[in-house]
Amino acid sequence: MNILDGLLIGLQSAMDPVTLLYCFIGVFLGTLIGVLPGIGALATISLLLPVTYHIPPTAAIVMLAGVYYGAQYGGSTASILLNLPGTPSSAVACLDGYPMAKQGRAGVALFMTTIASFVGSMLGILMLVLFAPGIAELGLKFGPAEYFAMMLLGLIAASTLASGSPAKGLSMVVLGLLLGTVGTDINSGATRYTYDIPELMDGISLVALAMGVFGISEVISSINQVRESEVKEKISMKTMTPTSNDVKQSVMPMLRGTGIGSFFGALPGTGAAIASFMAYAVEKKVSRTPEMFGRGAIEGITAPEAANNAASQTSFVPTLSLGIPGDAVMALMLGALIIHGIQPGPLLMTQQPDLFWGLIVSFGIGNIMLMVLNLPLIGVWVAILRIPYRVLYPAILVFISLGTYSVHNNEFDIYMVAIVGAVGYALAILRFEAAPLLLGFVLGPLMEENLRRAMLLARGDMMTFLERPISAGFLGVCFALVLWSGFSTLKRWLRARERKADFVST
Amino acid sequence: MKSKDSRDIIGGLALSVIGLYAAFQARDYEFGSLTHMGPGYFPVGLGLLLAVLGVAVAVPAFFREGEPLKVEWRTLALVLGSLVAFAAALKTLGLVAATVLAVVVSSLADRQTRWKGRLFIAAGVTLVTYLVFALSLGMVLPVWPWSA
Repeated sequence: MNILDGLLIGLQSAMDPVTLLYCFIGVFLGTLIGVLPGIGALATISLLLPVTYHIPPTAAIVMLAGVYYGAQYGGSTASILLNLPGTPSSAVACLDGYPMAKQGRAGVALFMTTIASFVGSMLGILMLVLFAPGIAELGLKFGPAEYFAMMLLGLIAASTLASGSPAKGLSMVVLGLLLGTVGTDINSGATRYTYDIPELMDGISLVALAMGVFGISEVISSINQVRESEVKEKISMKTMTPTSNDVKQSVMPMLRGTGIGSFFGALPGTGAAIASFMAYAVEKKVSRTPEMFGRGAIEGITAPEAANNAASQTSFVPTLSLGIPGDAVMALMLGALIIHGIQPGPLLMTQQPDLFWGLIVSFGIGNIMLMVLNLPLIGVWVAILRIPYRVLYPAILVFISLGTYSVHNNEFDIYMVAIVGAVGYALAILRFEAAPLLLGFVLGPLMEENLRRAMLLARGDMMTFLERPISAGFLGVCFALVLWSGFSTLKRWLRARERKADFVST
Repeated sequence: MKSKDSRDIIGGLALSVIGLYAAFQARDYEFGSLTHMGPGYFPVGLGLLLAVLGVAVAVPAFFREGEPLKVEWRTLALVLGSLVAFAAALKTLGLVAATVLAVVVSSLADRQTRWKGRLFIAAGVTLVTYLVFALSLGMVLPVWPWSA
């Protein structure tokens, strides 16, 4: 099916009134929670998962996706006004956005980031449309060995490219994989790690895990945090208009940011956050005035914002066409799709074209809605930021409890969230990244299945991974990544020793 | 007196213990062979791998300095307590009582909230919860203590 036919089917599917409604709800909610620090797309999507049981699958995924890329619009608002990121990928916007606000240019900053987000998203969608079908066709040639190798690459990329030491990231991935084995093994029917608790026969609930690890631990860490100065500025249409210089300076950064974002978004294991950091770093290197960065350089916010929006769109490429999630949020989306009985992968395009193309078209519609929503509503978001956290978090906790309960109408799930929340808090305190854990958890059963099948087909010959060209390619990149991260850890260690030696000798 | 990087030490050792335990538990599951992997293959392999990684994380930490560990025990207990209270009270006391209880417990964690504010927040959250979950989403739940 060619792209134009696909887009037409998608348009029909996306223009359905129910789907449109949920698209709107998704992007509105997404911007809202993106604006609020302390609640992110991850926690919100987990909370909405039980809700999606009651609505048609296409509308459900459209809504969840709307929350995801909508959050990338709102995230920079808190970064600019409060020096507190609303989402992890907006952390970079604090660096130049907050100084701009202090210079009285908050309105301009907010306006330009909205435009940058729009540009990044639309071009990202274009990439998605152009490349997803091609990659899906490539994916049809994938056998279990290739899938296993690609998932392995995704997990290794997630653990080595994330912040912190690669060993810690890898250990989180392995822990996630282990947690994924809890429950009934589909192949043999044997129960693993269930300790005769009937609720665990289906495994640990994804919703409980996600909400516990991300939602609960975020709440615990955010209570009693001292917030910096209150939002004092008045934002009006006049204060938001950028100068022509601002616009001129932002065109290239937006385009560069979009390119970087599209690339990192499509890569398994990397997502919007890494894309925005890379875009900032590149802008700084390329700029003729690098000393302006950190002091209110407008390129410092438009490039990362374009990047994280582009990444949030292109990260659907591996998820939809291959069934491999790029980051924790995509892992959740994958989980949501599977819960609805939809198997993402190369066959999705041919078996469910209305879902596939409808989703893509809804991205475009959603982004237009966001543009229209965000510009006049910036004042509303600013007002919402004034609600103190101590009023919000009890509500969040009750919503988490009820949301988890509603999945199986069983209080056991709430106790599960509490336990997982404690573990998640422990991870946060010990500075272990939680996102690789979620990725490992979602991919675990899939990886085991593919490994099993690959070994069955190859009659136990491990060399099959290297003999097949595509899987050998993936394994090669894995190897390179492991080497590279080992190398940089070594470099860091040597440099630290040098510094200590200098310190002692002076 | 330099403090060791306690975070990685505790984390690494804990992970190793979990890994060893997982591999130990899985020894009863059928292992199978490489060609026909049984249910025990993956868990044992992963458990051992985790144990190794845990050591890899903990050992370098002995030679490193780190910041002291800060745990918010009170907040942790209150947040978890709020969840447990809600779960326990939901079917026995109804939605309203469970929500109020949960909000009161969790709001105790914030040092700025006073009792009057606490009750206001409880009332507000209960109202929103009722509207969103019971009315709009149509969840079947006992609402008042006497209907439970």
